Amino acid sequence: MKLHTSYSISIAVAALLCVPSAVNTAQADETCNSPYMSGLIKGQEQFLHVWTLGVKGMGDGSDKLVTIDVDPKTKDFGKVINTLSVGGRGESHHMGFTDNRKYLWAGRLDDSKIFVFDVGTNPAKPTLVKTITDFTSKTGFVGPHTFYALPGRILVQGLSNSNNHDGVTGIALYNNKGDYITDYKMPVGDKAIGGGDGYGYDIGINPSKNVMLTSSFTGWTNYMMDLGTLITDANAMKNFGNTMVIWSVKSMKPIKVLNVPGAPLEIRWNLKPGHNWAVTATALTSKLWLIKQDANGEWQAKDVASIGDPSKVPLPVDISITADGKGLWVNTFMDGMTRYFDMTDPEHPVQTYGMHTGKQVNMVSQSWDGKRLYVTSSLLANWDKKASDDEQFLKGYDWDGKKLTQVFDVDFYKLNLGRAHHMKFSAKAKETASLDNEAAMGIADAGP
Amino acid sequence: MKALQHAAFGILALPASGLGVHAYADPAVAPDKTRPEQALVSAPTQDFIADAPGTYALPAIEPAGNGWVLEDNYWPRRLSNYTYDAVTLLSFIYTYCIDPIGCPLAYATMADLRSRVLADTSLRGKVRFVSLSFDPTNDTPEAMHSYGSDYADSTALPWHFLTTYSTHFLLPILDSYGQDVAVELDTAGRPTRTRTHMLKLFLIDPHSEVREIYSAAFLLPEVMYNDIKTLAMESDTPLAATSKQIANP
Repeated sequence: MKLHTSYSISIAVAALLCVPSAVNTAQADETCNSPYMSGLIKGQEQFLHVWTLGVKGMGDGSDKLVTIDVDPKTKDFGKVINTLSVGGRGESHHMGFTDNRKYLWAGRLDDSKIFVFDVGTNPAKPTLVKTITDFTSKTGFVGPHTFYALPGRILVQGLSNSNNHDGVTGIALYNNKGDYITDYKMPVGDKAIGGGDGYGYDIGINPSKNVMLTSSFTGWTNYMMDLGTLITDANAMKNFGNTMVIWSVKSMKPIKVLNVPGAPLEIRWNLKPGHNWAVTATALTSKLWLIKQDANGEWQAKDVASIGDPSKVPLPVDISITADGKGLWVNTFMDGMTRYFDMTDPEHPVQTYGMHTGKQVNMVSQSWDGKRLYVTSSLLANWDKKASDDEQFLKGYDWDGKKLTQVFDVDFYKLNLGRAHHMKFSAKAKETASLDNEAAMGIADAGP
Repeated sequence: MKALQHAAFGILALPASGLGVHAYADPAVAPDKTRPEQALVSAPTQDFIADAPGTYALPAIEPAGNGWVLEDNYWPRRLSNYTYDAVTLLSFIYTYCIDPIGCPLAYATMADLRSRVLADTSLRGKVRFVSLSFDPTNDTPEAMHSYGSDYADSTALPWHFLTTYSTHFLLPILDSYGQDVAVELDTAGRPTRTRTHMLKLFLIDPHSEVREIYSAAFLLPEVMYNDIKTLAMESDTPLAATSKQIANP
């Protein structure tokens, strides 16, 4: 048997064991993912995977996982090094790693398919290992959105339902093998805990508090509707979430419904130990909201800042918190701005920087050290801008604490790829040998 | 060993020589026993009141894995014999692991839980612990028994210290539990005896279903104890298989 170095164990596994602080539960992956995930990339990320919406007549027209080399030391820096088409177009949206960071789950909001990619074996060339098609048949939910790792399993937040395609939905639980386990419905009108509109969007867990926080968006009917049509439909505009929910992680029971009007989207917990607050941005009302316990230990939500001019509906979409919790990047889709808020006082965030990064911008991800920032363009196929405003890109920036400097720009339309949406980082694993290679080295087994 | 038995959970003080009980098959890769104690590591924080036992449900995540294992001698036994008819807490370890957030943390957590379970008469005869080695090369059945020390001999709460005949038998078990592990290489690219692995403990119900998986962030003894009680409350009949003697296949 030939000894080979193996990337089969993700970098995360090695990193977890080399980083004693990983036991501290207030950590997460590159500031935005489950704290139960191993393999935090604290140094230079090497690859960036973009879950990309296919466009009819463009290239193969298929949704695909696009991998870009983002290591500035390589000759392919800022270039597409791999594409992996999954077939068809189903409104590709978000992704999330399993706890060992070996697999990347990616969802489609229209046909509710979930694709599982192996990004651990060779992150430069992911492979599709499984397609999960029972999300709706098992749960009645539609639109698998957020993928949030727990040990050995993964939470999948739905956006809608198959009954009437409104925003009432729930959370499915799958094991890492891709088998459905159970599901949890979002609370609706539960007076004992403050009501609930049943809508869902993102998930964020604070392990030290046994708290899971969820947010709310809108249902299939709205997110599949042309944005221009939607905003002129008064009835449709009523069908957005206005709540966040506090859950017990252990029991997966809702504890309290918080009133957060205007579609609270991404959730980011402060990662600094002991700083048990979270922040979200409301898409329709353009506000930052702070979620924290009051003096009595009650969880409360508080409007703490405006993002741009709310009257102009800049539409904040993605946010990215710094590892020390002192800063927050906010992308606003309509005006194409990438803004930085000083969160030193989370009760009073202050915008200290802003840059126009595109005609439309959606996702924003930063490296753990905060020195690099990545921005993509697509929100939803039917919500993206039209004609020349419909830029589709991944842009990379360096951040020196004062200004962003663009270091690369990948034009997804020029390359016939499609609409660039969610991003995840990866890196080659530390070189290790698999267990079965020990025998090849002449090391005896335990036989008598 | 005794030091670990008395280690307070929360802050672990671990001897540099692992658990201080075990000889290495390959002395060249043994840790330097002259080093001072490893750095202190804080346990995960529990800043909440744990949900009471029986007030929540733990869903069945997946069937417990199976395979051939060894205990005390080289008579092959089925792992499934150790994962049914009792609430089982299973850990994967190796005896000379010194990573303070790896096996020693798992061991200390289980030792803490052992005390809690023993103090609860309602759990008598309903709970067992199992620790299975990542390293059949070094961790022979005798070595595992030695590692388990008093715990391995105790019948108050059975704690089985298992290994496998070879990696050929170990790998399918690890696969079935989704337990990642790899061998670290030295600077020359040769395998060392150090394993890199993601710490996981598996809570298995009497029907051999995995009902909870604990990574480092979840190693909260009070919560784990309540989980054990919750599963035990599902079946209140004492189970014969929790005795120290596990039937041969």
